[in-house]
Amino acid sequence: MATISPFIIYILRKIVFIVATFFIFLLIIFALPRAIPGNPVAALLTQIFQQAQANPDTVKAVYRKFLEEFGLTKPLHEQLFDFLSRLMMGDLGTSIAFYPRKVAELVASYLPWTLGLLIPAILVAWALGNLLGAWAAYRRRTKVDNALLPVFLVLSQVPYYWLAMILLYVLAVTARVFPVAGAYPPSMSPSLTPAFVLAMLHHYTLPFLSIVIVAIGGWAIGMRVLVIYELRSDYVEYSELLGLSDKRILGYVFRNSILPQVTGLALSMGTVMGGALITELVFSYPGTGYLLFRALSTLDYPLIQGTFIILVSTLLAANLIVDILYAYIDPRIRVSYVGE
Amino acid sequence: MLSGISKLIKPELFMIKKFDASLGVLFAVFALGFIGPLLYQVQPTAVAGPLEAPPSRQFPLGTDAYGKDVLAQLIAGVRGSLQIGATAAAISLLIGVIVGLIAGYKGKLVDNLLMMLTDIVLLLPSILLMILIAAYFKWRDPLLVSIIIGVTSWPWVARAVRSQTLSLKNREFVNLSKMAGLSDFQIVIRDILPNIASYIFMAYVLLMSGAMIAETGLSMIGLGTTQGLTLGNILFWAQVLEAVRRGLWWWFIPPGATLVALAASLLMLATALDEYFNPKLRGS
Amino acid sequence: MPEPLLLGLDLRASYRLRLGEVKAVDGVDIEIPRDSIVGLAGESGCGKSTLINVLLANIRPPLVLKSGRILLDGLEILGISREEVRKKVWGVKVSIVPQSALNALNPTKRIIELVKDAIRQHTPASDQEIISLCKRRFEELNLPFDSVYKYPHELSGGMRQRVIIAISTLLNPRLLVVDEPTSALDVSTQKQVLKMMVDMKKEGIIDSILFVTHELPVLRQVASHIYIMYAGKIVEYGPADSVFFRPLHPYTKALMYSVMTPEPESRARGLVTIPGEPPSLLMPPQGCRFHPRCPYVMDVCKKSEPRLVPLSDERGVACFLHHGESVN
Repeated sequence: MATISPFIIYILRKIVFIVATFFIFLLIIFALPRAIPGNPVAALLTQIFQQAQANPDTVKAVYRKFLEEFGLTKPLHEQLFDFLSRLMMGDLGTSIAFYPRKVAELVASYLPWTLGLLIPAILVAWALGNLLGAWAAYRRRTKVDNALLPVFLVLSQVPYYWLAMILLYVLAVTARVFPVAGAYPPSMSPSLTPAFVLAMLHHYTLPFLSIVIVAIGGWAIGMRVLVIYELRSDYVEYSELLGLSDKRILGYVFRNSILPQVTGLALSMGTVMGGALITELVFSYPGTGYLLFRALSTLDYPLIQGTFIILVSTLLAANLIVDILYAYIDPRIRVSYVGE
Repeated sequence: MLSGISKLIKPELFMIKKFDASLGVLFAVFALGFIGPLLYQVQPTAVAGPLEAPPSRQFPLGTDAYGKDVLAQLIAGVRGSLQIGATAAAISLLIGVIVGLIAGYKGKLVDNLLMMLTDIVLLLPSILLMILIAAYFKWRDPLLVSIIIGVTSWPWVARAVRSQTLSLKNREFVNLSKMAGLSDFQIVIRDILPNIASYIFMAYVLLMSGAMIAETGLSMIGLGTTQGLTLGNILFWAQVLEAVRRGLWWWFIPPGATLVALAASLLMLATALDEYFNPKLRGS
Repeated sequence: MPEPLLLGLDLRASYRLRLGEVKAVDGVDIEIPRDSIVGLAGESGCGKSTLINVLLANIRPPLVLKSGRILLDGLEILGISREEVRKKVWGVKVSIVPQSALNALNPTKRIIELVKDAIRQHTPASDQEIISLCKRRFEELNLPFDSVYKYPHELSGGMRQRVIIAISTLLNPRLLVVDEPTSALDVSTQKQVLKMMVDMKKEGIIDSILFVTHELPVLRQVASHIYIMYAGKIVEYGPADSVFFRPLHPYTKALMYSVMTPEPESRARGLVTIPGEPPSLLMPPQGCRFHPRCPYVMDVCKKSEPRLVPLSDERGVACFLHHGESVN
């Protein structure tokens, strides 16, 4: 019998699981507006319809489009079928607040700002947090650890957006070192000129820092515990008695402790994303958080749904990438067990 | 279960500095929320003075853009946040413990199905799910917000309770109870639950801090409770009315700092309890 | 008399804990002759593991050395820096085969990587030299050479144990300390492992072995000298045959005739025939430390502590029953 490498099996299982999760998420998206008492979507329809008395033409067009896309008059299974088949075609519906713009196109124009903020921030915080946590663990029961641990503990509990408010107040409003809002000066239009890139980085610093500083705390706490456990493992003792230097052994320990942190990276991305969306609000940063807030305050359900579908699929894709990376760097998954 | 916990608490617990420090902060914040209203009888919702007044003797934490007293709001907000945090944590704990106990004790197919469900919810970020659910409710009282937070935050508790149950269910005393003819339900209640009581208590503490932070996040995006005040509510209005850019620091710093103090001391409390219950962590 | 390979004198080491001082090694003298296999036996918790750490000069807080000297192959190994011990002692003069062989290898490194790291700490060697050294040794020991290119999880438990023995002895250390080498293995693998170590001594790869175990009967097959340890002290020593045929200390007798398991759980199930538990080393009993469990206890045992008295050139016992005797 041909044997499939455990690496491939692991990845296939992850893919199946992530696809299943995505499907269940779509079901939740579909079911929520229809299951909640008082049917919020129907209520919104009535509201739009009433407004249509005053301002007939556009509002009627919105009403018809909305009715068509949600298809509330059809039986449930047909609604679900329509919903899924439109999704397959990449159609996320039409925004109400930005009528007649399509949701997919709207989200696509805001998403790069969010990802550009999130991805570097998550990676930098992960790297710094792990280094600091490992350092604290290595110096445990010393002043270094005693001073660092409470800092990590408190940091990990600071909401990103509150630190954002503080940074904005201190460094932008009071000290005037950084701009108070936006992703670039309103006077400029996006281009690849050095002046624009510099201005963009200038606007980028505070949102970036408020995510990084907070996220470091959680990673450091996790890494500290992992390293402390790892330092007590049997292979550390044995390697030492073979005469290996501390430096070499710390290298082993760091590498082995960071493996679970890679898995943790996949799981934490959602939380960081949630916090970052709200942080965008504080800086009026033109990302999906800002878009979502507009959608929520106008009850633009198609836009709300579409934003979530895009955000969650991005997250799940990132998860899959991290999982594959993990399987690749951990030999226990990459290389099969060949017993006697 | 409570008697189980009280038996576990010995004077050594108070020797852990983290425990004393976090207990002190918690006590202070609770006092602010529950004794505060008796000492500082200003209506948080009433216009109390001039608009945007900085802290003074009359208004210790100043007033907001409507002239409402920030300290009075803070006192009411702490209570609101604690209420939502405590309720949401209880809901999460209930779901998590039930799912974890059933999965761990029953095993096999039930376990596989429940853990798959748990992993799916774990993979979907709870804060996004909360926002998504809350978006469809026009009116949200504190209980509804607690439920929304509670039903999305339980998976890690379920996982942990499951693994603890797995390690307990083949112990001698469980086998004895089985031989004595006790039902599964009785065994879980009498043999398993008391043995994970200390863990459940720690999980509750952590859930509560998580829930209060989640409430603030929901509020900030405009989906907090529409009834009564919470720390998140105060921050939301400060954000919407541009308190930061207009330099009204007394409006957004105190509620955030209170939240951080509360959440951090709860986390520190859980860490201290963890060290106390699992002395190995201290590194002898 | 030729100079012994290892001579340890008046070794005392304690753990400093919050609760107090645990005297885990309390005045031990030990001698390991050249070309010998010395057994050290005692229940778990008697201080064996601590004694191993002291003999290896692996002393770190909370363990502290109170007194003692160790002369190993002409080198004083206590009182020199840890860095020096690492360079001049570990892997070169003395190596250990740890108790937890299953987890003693870094799970994310191929075995050859660990070997390279270990050898390069002592001598500058090229990859080629290390590989050929490794290959030669694996062939001598009848181990499949390709296992050095594997990860630990790819090897069976018995194979991991043997690979560890090979790695520990790559640089021909004079003394090999073996800590409960057989406890996790099945009987046939146990035999292979024992034979492998005896063969290595015959071939001169190592000079002597210190074999530490809680199962006295295992020592019968291999050891030439035996030390019995109880509650931080040596209570009896002598040539293996002599100790086996005529155990003097009541504890030695109990060890010989009992089936003992190191696990507290199985002890609770009553598999142990030595009644009672090893004493707490935080507060050892007054008098002879074995007296609460001793079937021959006398009044004097409760009041004063018996010294370890030499009965002949080679044998000694710490028990009032035998003081004043002489044994051949």
